[in-house]
Amino acid sequence: MKQLMIICCVAFSITVCAQTKIPTLDKSPMDMSYYPANYPLLKIQDNTSEPLVARVIYSRPQKNGRVIFGELLEYGKVWRLGANEATEIEFFQNVKINDVKIKKGRYTLYTIPTAGKWTIIVNKENDIWGSFRYDEKKDVVRVDVPVQNLGEPAESFFILFDKINATSFNLIAGWDNAKVVLPISLN
Amino acid sequence: MSCNHKKIQPAPAVITVRDSSAQNPYATLDRSPMDMSYFPADFPLKKMNGSKEKMPIARVIYSRPHKNGRIVFGNSTNSICHYGTPWRLGANEATEIDFYENVVIGGKNITQGSYLLYCIPFEDRWTIIFNSNLYAWGLHIDSSYDVFKTDIPVSVQLPSLEDFTMIFSDAPYGTDLVMAWDNVKVVLPIELSK
Repeated sequence: MKQLMIICCVAFSITVCAQTKIPTLDKSPMDMSYYPANYPLLKIQDNTSEPLVARVIYSRPQKNGRVIFGELLEYGKVWRLGANEATEIEFFQNVKINDVKIKKGRYTLYTIPTAGKWTIIVNKENDIWGSFRYDEKKDVVRVDVPVQNLGEPAESFFILFDKINATSFNLIAGWDNAKVVLPISLN
Repeated sequence: MSCNHKKIQPAPAVITVRDSSAQNPYATLDRSPMDMSYFPADFPLKKMNGSKEKMPIARVIYSRPHKNGRIVFGNSTNSICHYGTPWRLGANEATEIDFYENVVIGGKNITQGSYLLYCIPFEDRWTIIFNSNLYAWGLHIDSSYDVFKTDIPVSVQLPSLEDFTMIFSDAPYGTDLVMAWDNVKVVLPIELSK
């Protein structure tokens, strides 16, 4: 019995010491996009004529020879707009999406893709994995946006921002041969 | 404690604002991929699995350069990180640490919030520096925004790590932020304020 106790104590202490698992490089690596575009680079040049508005932190799954929309990603099912952790969007000032005011802060982004349109969702949840525990009750806004054809298929899922004018910009998300454009305006 | 380190050089007059790979849908993925580590470890996964904890305590967002056969830390011009020269604790964007609550580091109260994190590596110790000039590229960190700095000793990392890594591990007082690359490791103790 005493020997068993000693073995258990040693095993426990080895487990505790080995708790820090070194993360391997992810096959869907993380990335970050800012609006204004390239904000961090502009910042070190003292070239930020416009204030920081938004930032997205997301992971970039790879097409890898697969058919994405309609096969890997089922139409009509909530998708986390990326991989791994739920995609995070942070607004550094109040904005408006689809006439709905969104206060500055951190949110998660999801989508429900279909062949002709995606429903983009901004949700109040944070620091969560995937879309398995997506809670519609925490939605801030939902917008339908049409699917556009990406002439050349994109191997990596991407999200980036593009300026429209002084008071509005687009969030552009795309993968394989599909992309969507979500207009956002400064409030 | 004063540290003899080179003054941060001002940014050169002209830097080509190359589109980060994030801005070009067809660019190849960054060779120093971004990553994120939470404390408690795997917080997002645990939250998805129904953990009761509403908020994490800290997280770090950084990029992971590879050793790729190079000398990582050293004195020579061949090394990626030079002793006594500021290093951004990663690659690309400056490394960011987010505290969801107040913590104590090196005896000093650090207020909840986000900070740039960088270091000045030496052979026997690293000076870890918290900076408030958020959302900057890591190549030139403006030290006039330094908020706090502390020295921590260098220890040996075994096995040697190909990719720069930052993770939080459990500690009786809170957590240790472990930073390691090649065969070098440092540990920053972070106390949770009661």
